[in-house]
Amino acid sequence: MTAGATAGAATVSAAGPSELGIVVDRVARRFGAVQAVVDASMVAPMGQVTGLIGPNGSGKTTLMLMLASLLAPDQGSIRVAGHDPVADPASARRLLGWMPDQLGSWGSLSARTTLVQTGRLYGMHRLAAAHRAAELIHLVDLGELADRPSRVLSRGQKQRLSLARALVHDPAVLLLDEPASGLDPAARVALRRTVRRLAGEGRAVLVSSHVLAELDEMADSAVYLDRGVTADAARIAATRVSERAWRIRSADRHRLRDALFRAGVPWERIDADAGGLLVPIAGEDAAAALLTRLVGEGLAISAFAPAVGELEHTFLDLSGERMAAAPPAGAGGPGAPADPSPYAPPAPGAHPAPPQPGGPQ
Amino acid sequence: MIPFFTGVRVIAGLELRQRVRGVAWYVLVGLFGVVVLIVTGLLIWGFRALSGGYDSDPGGNAIFSTIVYLVLLLGTLVAPAFSGNAINGDREAGTLATTQVTLVSTPQLVIGKFVAAWISSLAFLAIAAPFLVVSLVIGGTTVGMVLVSLLVLAVELAVISAIGVGLSGLLRRPLFSVAVTYLVVAALSVGTLISFGLGTLVAQERYEYRSATYDYDDSTGNSECIVSDTTTEGTRPRPDYVWWLLAANPYVVMADAVPTRYGSGDAPSDLFGWIKLGVRSLQQPPDSSLVDDPCNYRSDRSPSPHEVIDRSVPSWFVGLAIHLALAALALVGAIRATRAPARRLAAGSRIA
Repeated sequence: MTAGATAGAATVSAAGPSELGIVVDRVARRFGAVQAVVDASMVAPMGQVTGLIGPNGSGKTTLMLMLASLLAPDQGSIRVAGHDPVADPASARRLLGWMPDQLGSWGSLSARTTLVQTGRLYGMHRLAAAHRAAELIHLVDLGELADRPSRVLSRGQKQRLSLARALVHDPAVLLLDEPASGLDPAARVALRRTVRRLAGEGRAVLVSSHVLAELDEMADSAVYLDRGVTADAARIAATRVSERAWRIRSADRHRLRDALFRAGVPWERIDADAGGLLVPIAGEDAAAALLTRLVGEGLAISAFAPAVGELEHTFLDLSGERMAAAPPAGAGGPGAPADPSPYAPPAPGAHPAPPQPGGPQ
Repeated sequence: MIPFFTGVRVIAGLELRQRVRGVAWYVLVGLFGVVVLIVTGLLIWGFRALSGGYDSDPGGNAIFSTIVYLVLLLGTLVAPAFSGNAINGDREAGTLATTQVTLVSTPQLVIGKFVAAWISSLAFLAIAAPFLVVSLVIGGTTVGMVLVSLLVLAVELAVISAIGVGLSGLLRRPLFSVAVTYLVVAALSVGTLISFGLGTLVAQERYEYRSATYDYDDSTGNSECIVSDTTTEGTRPRPDYVWWLLAANPYVVMADAVPTRYGSGDAPSDLFGWIKLGVRSLQQPPDSSLVDDPCNYRSDRSPSPHEVIDRSVPSWFVGLAIHLALAALALVGAIRATRAPARRLAAGSRIA
């Protein structure tokens, strides 16, 4: 668990007491008449990146604020690195780092001063804080800009400063609320590497986003939040065998189409896009069987991969289920089924399909 | 938890660097210095002309009291601008929550912001202090008067800063909390005068008195005082019931707190002393001997100004107590309203 800790950064201290960085059990929170979080349960294990997925307004940020010890839940319990952020916020805050979705920075302070002062607010000595700030500036690659007032930073640069600020006290649990918004592609790649490394060092990282492709690349598992309710494991497992589109590419599109038809795919359900043919397939096993058959027929397949990311598929499937259960106008519709055991650990053996750029040749 | 004063110091330092100390602040302090300089120059020039070219006691005293009131006026006008959006302004800028997730506690946060607002308004006092020393040199003031006035100014600026920071924690919109802080300043400076006037009207009482007539005896040439048998009804104001309203006025607190020098006839010899005498004499209940025993009433029994002041309750004490209670209430309210994890939120407010 003590993988490549950065020079000087103490290894993550509190992985010991609890293997689960975050435990949320049946949490609810309302604001006046608006029930922002209805019934959320989830865990985020240490050493892993957990995605928090949901459409805008689904309660992601409210849940994040409760985890960050800023909001008290109306019901339910929360443990962050084993501590209750409501009963004992100081202990929880010592171990959690929070990167907010709305970026606030002290505009007339430089990035370096911001980090030093944040370190001081975590009780670090002036020199230790300065040392840590220099490390973090290097980590998030703000070198040349570190001593300019932070109001001149671009959104992406502020985002990196915000991440650095969340890391000042080397927290065991990291909460990142929409960390990639506003980042250019190169910065996204860098962010993904950083997040993976932070998890590799033994931290629990919870990343919320509605850009699913991005989470697909960095999350080990995901929590789905829709209208304030987390989806339970059974529903998520069900989506794994539901139909999704796979993209198949071959030099000879017509032969491929014929072969697919012979394999039992209805003609009208075969779609095409620039990348190849899109075919609905239910589950990994069916996909493997189809590929074997196509190759067996002597077709030259150059790409064979899911057309939508794992998370996006699950997410769309789950929200489709809700749409089906409660027709469009359905205010007060059944919503998510009331499950007797809504406690939803990430799917068993949570290793999603490998990233699919290119797919198997 | 981090040590209390470390937390307060870091927060105050952040606040001073980020929010308070900007170009606008330096411009304001500079302008204030120029205004005080001009006023002092005019006063010195004017009083020299009056006193035939010599430095005089009244001149020094006029400079003293004018500068003290000027600092009090401008300080109470500027302090709300520095303090009135300390907390909700940070909330809007998204920097409050990122501070709250650190180990700094809510009392440290609120008090740190208060200290920063206070320090930035104390700068105005620091600029004005040399001019008070000028009044010492010219005469008409004592070191004690200058020191007490500086102390009271510092406390009054602290009170306004605390009320501003407190309201910025209690109210959601920065503009609104700044405006309400100004209203509190207006209520203390002007509202107390108005409410004292109204209070005196309301606090009138009916009373009965016997009039006295003098019967002149031709044979002896003496006149005899006879209390009439019938009583007459009249009304009289009772400012002694509502004098504390006036005591809550910061200008009255200032005048009352500064030590008074007495001149001829035990009367105060400076502006602040006369204001003090006015406020203190309002504490006196109506003289009952005039009503009960009009024949034995002697005007020379009434106390001298010095005696009036010595016998009355120090109203600066009452006024400062009222101010400090308001300030403490505002800060405690802000600490309660800013606590995290938050249970209740004002409608439409956001955490981060």
